[in-house]
Amino acid sequence: MMAAVAIACAVAAPLTRAQGSQAPPDFSGVYYPANAQGGGGARAGAPPAPQVPAKPLPPPTRTGPLSDGSRGRGPDAPHLTPEYLKKWEAMRDSRIAGSSDSDNTAKCLPPGMPAMMNMAYGMEIMQTKDKVTFFSELNDALRRVYLDGRKPTPAILDDPTYAGYSTGRWEGDTLVIETVALRDNTYIEGFTPHSDQMTVRERIRLLPSGLLEDRITVTDPKALVKPWETVKTYRKATFPNDQLREFACAEGLDHAR
Amino acid sequence: MKPCTIVVVATLAAAGSFHVSLLAHHSNVGFAVETVNTATGVVKEWKWMNPHTWLIVDVDDGKGGTVEWAMEGRAPGVLLRAGWTRTVLKPGDKVTVHYSPSKDGSKVGMIARVTMSDGRVLPNAPPAN
Repeated sequence: MMAAVAIACAVAAPLTRAQGSQAPPDFSGVYYPANAQGGGGARAGAPPAPQVPAKPLPPPTRTGPLSDGSRGRGPDAPHLTPEYLKKWEAMRDSRIAGSSDSDNTAKCLPPGMPAMMNMAYGMEIMQTKDKVTFFSELNDALRRVYLDGRKPTPAILDDPTYAGYSTGRWEGDTLVIETVALRDNTYIEGFTPHSDQMTVRERIRLLPSGLLEDRITVTDPKALVKPWETVKTYRKATFPNDQLREFACAEGLDHAR
Repeated sequence: MKPCTIVVVATLAAAGSFHVSLLAHHSNVGFAVETVNTATGVVKEWKWMNPHTWLIVDVDDGKGGTVEWAMEGRAPGVLLRAGWTRTVLKPGDKVTVHYSPSKDGSKVGMIARVTMSDGRVLPNAPPAN
């Protein structure tokens, strides 16, 4: 009996190692937020043709979420230092007055990390062994995650961008990403400001339900009292909702008409 | 001659306000999003454009005339997933528009829903699932 147990253990150990070295999961595909907020289309099959409702619809009560800050900051919002809370309050007052000065998307600028991962209008993931690329329909924004072991150089750290510089590695079935070199004129979420010292860590994996999960941790010693964590989930789309549309934001700017 | 002169000036003013509105109201913070009003009128133009669509409507003014409104719709990609198309609305179509008014009081709205004259409804978001 003892001998049989020993053999089973000996066999089991190499099997575990073999599983660990298996190819990582393939995240490739088009996804929309699982909570169905925004402009996604997680519904399988073609979009519905306009219908005559079976009974009159009640009048809509709003056109979209209130995003001017007039109800204050929610309990789950990042906890800002006094200096950055003042910046937020100034933007809130401007937005309540109707100004879109603090709205990068309205200026056709990229949403930047980590706000980009809201992916309200859907995202496309393109994955190879050495790189994972995320594309956002909203503002045609793009980010690349390098998996080949490269690290940000001093020159890259001195050249911040909207998407930042992302390197990643696989921990089992989870893609672990660190993003640095981020511009300070983007927002963490909503219009929550941050400094140029912000870094973003992510853990992305496929859940047993089939949803894709991104656990995001934002650290910023100047703007945040403590790291902020949020979890996004996305549902993979099927034909024809697996076709993101061109956004071409500049078409709406004055010079392009 | 005088009435003609007045008409020309009014048209120019309307064109000017639309031009400004495209720049001023792309962000939804420009609208009272939790107020929804209703307008009925005739489609003048349906602009299937990036990043947001625009429905230009001659709205009944309740005094036998019309007044031009620019109603901002969501992005073509979003509306495609909600069942709209580039040609779903045409000049001359009668529509009812539920919209949120601009905070600055201009004749610009953000579309919550459009109902066509045959009763078909165009929602501003795709179905949940």
